[in-house]
Amino acid sequence: MLFETILLTLRVAIVATLLNLPLALGLGWLVVKRRIRGAFILDVLASLPLAVPPVVVGYLLLLLLGRRGPIGSLAESSLGLEIAFTWVAAVLASAIVSFPLVARAVMTAMEEVDERLERSARTLGAGAVRVALTITLPLAYRGILAGVLLGFIRALSEFGATIIVAGNIPGKTQTVPLAIYDSIQLGQGEETRVLVIVALALALATLAIHNWLLRRSRGRDA
Amino acid sequence: MAQSDTFLQFSVRKAYQGFTLDCAGRFERGITAVFGPSGSGKTTLLNCISGMLSPDEGDIEMDAAAVYSSSARINAPPDKRRFGYVFQQGALFPHMSVRQNVEYGYKLTPRSERQFEPDDLAELLAIGHLMDRGVGNLSGGERQRVALARALASSPRLLLMDEPLASLDAAHRASILALLKSISDRLGVPMIFVSHSLSEALALAPKMYALDAGKMVAYGSTPEVMAHPSVARIADYGTLENILSARVLEHDNEDGTSRLAIGDAVLVGPPTDSSPGESVSVSIRSGDIILSLGAPPLTSARNAVPAVVRDVRETGGLALVYLDMGEMIVAEVTPGSARQLDLIRGRDVHLVIKTNSIFTFAQDSG
Repeated sequence: MLFETILLTLRVAIVATLLNLPLALGLGWLVVKRRIRGAFILDVLASLPLAVPPVVVGYLLLLLLGRRGPIGSLAESSLGLEIAFTWVAAVLASAIVSFPLVARAVMTAMEEVDERLERSARTLGAGAVRVALTITLPLAYRGILAGVLLGFIRALSEFGATIIVAGNIPGKTQTVPLAIYDSIQLGQGEETRVLVIVALALALATLAIHNWLLRRSRGRDA
Repeated sequence: MAQSDTFLQFSVRKAYQGFTLDCAGRFERGITAVFGPSGSGKTTLLNCISGMLSPDEGDIEMDAAAVYSSSARINAPPDKRRFGYVFQQGALFPHMSVRQNVEYGYKLTPRSERQFEPDDLAELLAIGHLMDRGVGNLSGGERQRVALARALASSPRLLLMDEPLASLDAAHRASILALLKSISDRLGVPMIFVSHSLSEALALAPKMYALDAGKMVAYGSTPEVMAHPSVARIADYGTLENILSARVLEHDNEDGTSRLAIGDAVLVGPPTDSSPGESVSVSIRSGDIILSLGAPPLTSARNAVPAVVRDVRETGGLALVYLDMGEMIVAEVTPGSARQLDLIRGRDVHLVIKTNSIFTFAQDSG
C-alpha cells in the first residue's frame, strides 16, 4: 500500500510536470521573445493559481470536470470517461497549481538570454526555431531546470486542490500528502511517521538531483 | 563586377521608441560609415537593414532585389537576407567554443554559396590559436575578431557593424581598423558601420552618411561630409585624431625614442615596448600637427615629414587639411593660416609633429 502510494505520487507529479514544461516554454516564448499583444494578460493568468488558495483551484476544476461540468459531461458522453475523482484529476490539479512556478522560472531564464545573441544567430542564417533550439534553450537551461524541479516539488506536495477534485481514494487518487492527512485524522501515529519520512526523502532526493544536474552543466561549460 | 555601383538602396520610415527615423540612401560597395550623435537613429537604421526591425513603410533593395517593400508586401526575415551583423562587444555565443561560434553560420550556408572557409578566416583574423578555446576569457580585441570571423564565415552579402570599435581600448582600435580595411580590400565584402566617432569614420570609410534626429543630413565622400555645415553642428572636431598603424623600425635607448614607419614616412615617436618589426597603433591628434611650407629650419619638434595636400575643407571655424604621406592624415589649422600658406590641392608641405604628440599602443596578439 505504501509503495503504491509513493508510485502514484511520483506518477502524478511527473505527468503534471511533463504537461507544464511545453506549456511554460510556449508561454515564455510568446511573452518574452515574441512580445505579443496582450502578453501581460497571459502573464497574469499564468500566475493566478499561485495567488488563489489551492482549494479554490480544486473547486473550480470540479465545476469543470464534474459529471455536470462542461468538460466532465463531454468526456463522459463522447468517451465514456470520468475525470473527476481519478488520478487524471489529481494530475490536472497538481499541474495547474504548480504551473506558475514553472512558467515564472522559464520566463525569467528566457529573459536573461541576451537578445543580441539571438539576433546574431538570425543574421547568421538560423530561423526562429533553430535559434530557440541552439541559443535560447541551451542558455536558459539552468533556469528552466530549476523551474521544472520547483514545479515537480510543488506537485509532489499538492494537497488542497487534489482533495477536492480527485478525492482521497486509497490506491486510486491518494498521494502521499493525502495519505498523511488520513493517517493523522485516524490517529495512526506509526503510519504518519513513515509517510512524513517518505515525503521528506522525496523532497531531498529531488533537490539533490537538481543540484547534481546544475553542477554537471556547469562543469561542461568550463 | 563594377565596384562602385550602388548595391544597397533604401528609403525607410520607422517610428521607434518616441522618435521617427525617416531617411533614404544609396550606398556604394566598399566601406560606408553611418555617423551621428547618440539617439540620431543610426542603430535603428542598421536594424531596419538587417531585418531585426520592420520599417513602418519604405523599400530596401540589395543588388536590385527587394528585401523589404511595404508596397509590394515583401519583408525577408533576417536569416534570409544574408547580411552579417557585428555587435559592439561581439555577442559571442557563450556556450560554444570559438570554433563552434565561427562555424555556426558557415554550417547554415548552402555549400554552393560558401565563399570563405573558417580556417582561412581564422588565419586572416589571427584567431587560429584560439579556435578550440571557450569564449569566456577572450580579450576585447579577440572577441571582436571572432565575431568578425563568425559573420564572414556565413558568406554575407554585406557586413553591418554597430560601433565595432567602441568597446575596444586604444591599442586594439587601430589593429581592428586595419583588419577591417584588409577584409574589405581582400574579401570584397561591402561594409556599413555605425559610429559616433569622426576619427573612426576618417580612418576606415571613404564614404560617410550622416544622420541627425532620424534624418539624413549629408552623404558623400568622408572629407566632404565631415565638413558639411549640418555635420559641423553635431561634430566635435576637437577630439579628431588620426588612428594609424605603424611598424617599429628601431629603438634609440640613449635618446629615449623609437622610430616608426607610417606609410612612406618615418617618424620619431616616444619609446615603445614593442620590438622592431612589430606593429603598433598610433594616434596623432589633428590639432597637434603643424604645417610648414618647405622643410622647416631646425625646431624642437623631431618630425618634419613631407606630404602632399589632397583636400582642404573649411568648417566650424577651422580648416581640415587632408594630407598624403603614403597614409592619409588630417591636420586641423585655422582658416586664416590655411589661406596664408595657400593650402590648395597638390601643394607640397611638411608636417611638423612633436614626439610627445605621437601616442603609441602595443598591438599585442590580443
